[in-house]
Amino acid sequence: MRLEYPGNVKIIRVPCTGKVDVMHLLRAIQKGADGVYCVGCLEGTCHYNEGNFRCRERVNHVRMLLEEVGLESDRVRMYNLSSGEGPTFAAYAKEMTEHIKGLGPNPLKNK
Amino acid sequence: MISPKLVEVGRHTNINLITNSEIKSIEGDPGNFTVNLVNHPRYIDPVKCTGCGECARHCPVTAVNEYNLNLDDRRATYIQYAQAVPLAFAIDTDTCIGCGLCENMCIAKAINYDDEERESSVTVGSVILSSGSRGFDPSQLDFLGYGKHTNVVTSEEFERILSASGPYFGHLMRPLDREEPKKIAWLQCVGSRDTNRSGNGYCSSVCCMYAIKEAMIAKEHAHGDLDCVIFNMDMRSFGKDYEKYYNRARYKDGVRFEKGRIHTITEEPETGDLKVRYADETGMAQEETFSMVVLSVGLKIPDTSAELAERLGIELNKYNFVNTDPFAPVCTNRPGIYTCGVFQGPKDIPGSITEASAAACLAGGDLAEARGTDIEKVEVPDEKDVADQAPKIGVFVCNCGINIGGIVDVPDVQEYAATLPNVVFTDSNLFTCSQDTQDKIKEMIVEHNLNRVVVASCSPKTHEGMFMETLEACGLNKYLFEMANIRNQNSWIHSNDPELATRKAKDLVRMSVFRAAELKPLEEKLVHVNKRALVIGGGIAGMNAALGLGRQGFEVVLLEKDSEMGGFARKLHHTIEGKDVQAYLKQLIEEVNANEKVQVMTDARIVGFEGFKGNFATQVEVGPDAEKHKIEHGVIIVATGANEYKPKEFLYGEDDRVITQVALTDRLEEKGASDLSTVVMIQCVGSRNEENENCSRICCQSAVKNALHIKKLNPDAQVFVLYRDIRTYGLLEEYYTEARKQGVIFIRFDKDAPPTVEATSEGLVVTVKDHILQQNVAISTDLLTLSAGMAATDTDELSRIMKLNRSPEGFFIEAHVKLRPVDMPSEGIFLCGSAHGPKLISETVSQSQAAASRATTFLAKDAIKLSAITAKVDVDHCVKCLTCVRSCPFGVPIFNEDEKVIEINEAICHGCGVCTAVCPRQTIQLSFYEDDQITSKIDALLEAA
Amino acid sequence: MADKSGSVMVLGAGIAGMQASLDLANSDYNVYLVDKTPTIGGMMARLDKTFPTNDCAM
Repeated sequence: MRLEYPGNVKIIRVPCTGKVDVMHLLRAIQKGADGVYCVGCLEGTCHYNEGNFRCRERVNHVRMLLEEVGLESDRVRMYNLSSGEGPTFAAYAKEMTEHIKGLGPNPLKNK
Repeated sequence: MISPKLVEVGRHTNINLITNSEIKSIEGDPGNFTVNLVNHPRYIDPVKCTGCGECARHCPVTAVNEYNLNLDDRRATYIQYAQAVPLAFAIDTDTCIGCGLCENMCIAKAINYDDEERESSVTVGSVILSSGSRGFDPSQLDFLGYGKHTNVVTSEEFERILSASGPYFGHLMRPLDREEPKKIAWLQCVGSRDTNRSGNGYCSSVCCMYAIKEAMIAKEHAHGDLDCVIFNMDMRSFGKDYEKYYNRARYKDGVRFEKGRIHTITEEPETGDLKVRYADETGMAQEETFSMVVLSVGLKIPDTSAELAERLGIELNKYNFVNTDPFAPVCTNRPGIYTCGVFQGPKDIPGSITEASAAACLAGGDLAEARGTDIEKVEVPDEKDVADQAPKIGVFVCNCGINIGGIVDVPDVQEYAATLPNVVFTDSNLFTCSQDTQDKIKEMIVEHNLNRVVVASCSPKTHEGMFMETLEACGLNKYLFEMANIRNQNSWIHSNDPELATRKAKDLVRMSVFRAAELKPLEEKLVHVNKRALVIGGGIAGMNAALGLGRQGFEVVLLEKDSEMGGFARKLHHTIEGKDVQAYLKQLIEEVNANEKVQVMTDARIVGFEGFKGNFATQVEVGPDAEKHKIEHGVIIVATGANEYKPKEFLYGEDDRVITQVALTDRLEEKGASDLSTVVMIQCVGSRNEENENCSRICCQSAVKNALHIKKLNPDAQVFVLYRDIRTYGLLEEYYTEARKQGVIFIRFDKDAPPTVEATSEGLVVTVKDHILQQNVAISTDLLTLSAGMAATDTDELSRIMKLNRSPEGFFIEAHVKLRPVDMPSEGIFLCGSAHGPKLISETVSQSQAAASRATTFLAKDAIKLSAITAKVDVDHCVKCLTCVRSCPFGVPIFNEDEKVIEINEAICHGCGVCTAVCPRQTIQLSFYEDDQITSKIDALLEAA
Repeated sequence: MADKSGSVMVLGAGIAGMQASLDLANSDYNVYLVDKTPTIGGMMARLDKTFPTNDCAM
């Protein structure tokens, strides 16, 4: 559909968001990513039943951990959409980027 | 989209391509035909030709390029397009001057000026005719000025104009002055729905949709505001989800749709602009000026196909489409010879693909006992053991024509890739997916001893499989492959910022190179295929699918939820062609019952389901006592059908003079029409509205069918059809024409001003605003018939148990709307009939045969390869906490009490990775997505930048 | 009657002919795919995009 979205978003492919580990999210933040978000299927439509619910739990867990160490929990988010929703994907990418710009750079960067 | 299929056909060991050839005659009988061919000279040996193109670069002769519909030039030595299969040049001897330059330049010695016409013959068991169509030639229609006014082009030419590989490299320009048009008109039905001027009484079925598409794409390409107007009689967006596309163009993208009949097009000499004179819906003369006019030309069968049919004794109809029976849509009159695609009748790509599979089902079914006797077994070379080698990565960067190369600085990305760790070879290609590049990749793997390959191009969803095969073909494990999507995720979305796109391409390539270094060779296990099929639904779709598989020699279990078979078709009487549906159904049920391969279970309900492609197990409760059965099977065909929508509108259910089309059919069969003086029909009831955005496809023909039936029973009865667009596509248009001829009155209304109905003591009064008279018309009627759309059957339980995805409207979703219309997203599961969406009986028959053909591609194999992307436990480090056992959504990990270890059966592992993420000791890894393979990407993106 | 052949001829290598050939070939039949032109692909290979997804036809 060639919908424009911000160039600072780069995608790492996983078979299901259920595969996304707390460690992966933390590692990205630790290495200096300003934000990380997971995009899973709509709730209730996971091809593997519940992967996206598990991912949401992990995202929430990571948000809590960030809070505990004094980082903004909202650098990590979870979004849901169906594979036919290109425009929504682009809208989320914009939303996340704007949001992260508001938070400013990751303080862990270059440390 | 077609490109991977071209390559697949070109590479398939069971397909022999015979180009530049025609059938001269067919002798013999079904099962054993001798086909005599004429092989025209190509003058370049396709086996020797490498497709390097040196011959064309040195050819001094300019010829018109018919691939780009004469809008630009090519050489006399030429190839049609970059991804062409076979990738071999040809000489056009009509223009070649025989100078010999190409022969001198050709290193491969492929050029043969002395090539001549030859004859050959092959023995086959069945024949499929799929010779297609060409666009109608509008030069015979003077009033359109095609051929006289340069800025009047056909829709086929406009496709080339929009194409990045076209004459203007995808820049929106008009031919006269190469200026970007500001205003474009599309004129529909050029060479279609027109018996007077072109002699083509049929609707070409595709032009409305491609005109919408061309208008949307043109708007995307335009630099300023582009005004797009589509002049039409009716907009026919009748396919699955097509109405949504039409609405998007109309309400979101601002494409204008005008009802009008074109009078003349004249050119304004100073500007080259075109003045379109037309009569609007009220009959008033109007005119509007455009910078460019596109003629939406219909589909026409070329004379050569008609001549071929004549030689072969194949009956055609008056428009030269193959004469077929609605209950046997791909059969010709000659046994053993089948047809599909547009030669069968006008249709779009998914329709053609469906019919192609249906023709394959029957053509193969005739030869079931000889299956496998004429093929050579594929030998994949032994795999090189590279497990212990240090990574040696080759990076191939694709230009994708100008899709990537026009935005991303590809040479810069290639240079950058060469600086990355472990990269020992880099290259860039115009099209990395083309067959010549596959050969080149193979050569480079061998020459540079590559043990990992990264392709930076498009989406792995479409191209990964093809590249993996390329690796396999030269002995490299196919999982040592990684793609960087620098097109869909980059050049397409950052086309306004080439610098950013180049920077991001480098990031994506770096991430892929880092991951590639972490990849490991993986083994795909073979599993046995259970050669039984489960068909769900005993209507026309399910029964045809079952018979198709039965003919191929496979066992079928056919489940029907009711106590008798037949489904919705039990409520129908005749097709629009006058064929007896009940007689057909009776015969079909008898055939199914008599087929020893097909076991029927009625009153059946699915209660449990497990397994995977090739090895499914379904639990069923059958009969009044809910007797339990467990069925083991290798494939599934879903054919659960649909129902007529039960209207809430227009006093339905409140006044018994308001009925549906199905009830009207019954009424006409039982009571005739002698007591009816007036019948009003209202179209699009329960379709094309807020609740159900889609068109129900079949209701227009139902209305026309019943209107004609009333006129036949009682010529004095008045029939009014109140409609929004009449969508009698394809050859159905003839019946619409006939209905008007017989005095059926068609009145168009707008969605925003629907008719109103009032019940009075004398009868019903329907009021509608007539667009021609521009005023309200009140019609007193005996009967009001609602053309109720089709509603999906309740499949909540089934879709939950079998995990099958449905659209918001409740129809099942196919794997790909265009290229995989009867496959479902999960492998080994297929879809047919109105469970997929509303359709005619003839379309249901071909779709169910298509599903049987797709299923046969699984069942014909004794074993299929399983994905290697599964979870593996490192038993030495596992602490047996059982978190994986509790977390797996499919119950795959089990604790082996004897061995005291966790086991994961890779044949049933779905590869979702949930267990790997929950394992507290990280002792489970998902192959191809191991933690190191994911974190390497994170690190590459953030650390090495 | 002579033994049945395990081969099928498909005339016309547009998207329909290609799909019929692939199904048959993947079901272990041998296929002769014949086209009058030097290249397979037919009309679809000349399209720019396809409805209703606007995917690239090529």
